[in-house]
Amino acid sequence: MRRLALPIAMAALLALAALVLVDALGPAASLTQDEQAAQIAGELRCPDCQSLSVAESQTAAAAAIRREITSLLESGQSPEQVRQHFVDRYGEWILVEPRSALVWLLPAAAVLLGTGLLAWWLARGRSVLTPTIEPASDRIRDRIREEVEKLDA
Amino acid sequence: MTSPLSFRSLRWLALPIVLVPLGWLLFTGLGRDPRLIPSPLIGKPLPAFSGTTLDGATFSSASLRGRPAVINFWASWCPPCVDEHPVLLATGAAHPDDLAMVGILYQDTADGARNFLVRYGQGRWPTVLDTSGRIAIDLGVTGPPETFFVDANGIVRARHVGPLTTDEMRAQLAALGLAP
Repeated sequence: MRRLALPIAMAALLALAALVLVDALGPAASLTQDEQAAQIAGELRCPDCQSLSVAESQTAAAAAIRREITSLLESGQSPEQVRQHFVDRYGEWILVEPRSALVWLLPAAAVLLGTGLLAWWLARGRSVLTPTIEPASDRIRDRIREEVEKLDA
Repeated sequence: MTSPLSFRSLRWLALPIVLVPLGWLLFTGLGRDPRLIPSPLIGKPLPAFSGTTLDGATFSSASLRGRPAVINFWASWCPPCVDEHPVLLATGAAHPDDLAMVGILYQDTADGARNFLVRYGQGRWPTVLDTSGRIAIDLGVTGPPETFFVDANGIVRARHVGPLTTDEMRAQLAALGLAP
């Protein structure tokens, strides 16, 4: 049973990874225009409040942006074009989730680096902290005897 | 046996070498205003806009061309706009011909804006009603007061978030080539 644990764990991890991949790459469910508008509103930051999306905010500016999203979608623009419409005006800042891959990769890289450093440090510490005990050589024995005699004198 | 000793002392140095800059980065971040986001419009042509003014006239941004322009988003419910208003009035008086100015009302009623101007002073420039909020969206406005500085060729040169002081206004106008 023990021998099977690792393959089973690996298989489970691979299956999970495959599920995530299928979910991420698979075709998005077709949404109605209202659902699309709500989705985009949830991805845009409310310009005159902090840490709220346009969908959550009650300010007049957020309401104006929600109306603008609906009218842009009605004019035939794709959701990506609508997102870009606001990025062109407010900058990347308007997106609740940044597009830059660096923002997402940096924390993962930091965790990997930290784990690596910790593993290296632990492995190194073990070899230093648990020295193999060997019987003292004759030279050391003589030296100890000398020192003890010096102390007694 | 000196190398492990020097390595150990280096290891203690590594901690402050990593932590001090990181701490400094995080600490200085605390003092920054999260609203100060660079505008993607800088260096680009001013998006065209038009609308009805408080006086009922029609205003088009095309009329700004040919001389530097100041575009000021404001609202009567905005206390910093009250602080900024004397600076705008002084600028309007100092540059009657060589500077175009226009106010754009941000999420406010025409009556509220008229009361504000009666109380704090009516400048020589028009105020456009942005009823749908579309002008504010097209210029990426995050809240009043917010001011755009546009050169004579219609290129956006700067954006100022928050109330303008006399010195800041003077510096922005100088950058547009206007003497005080």
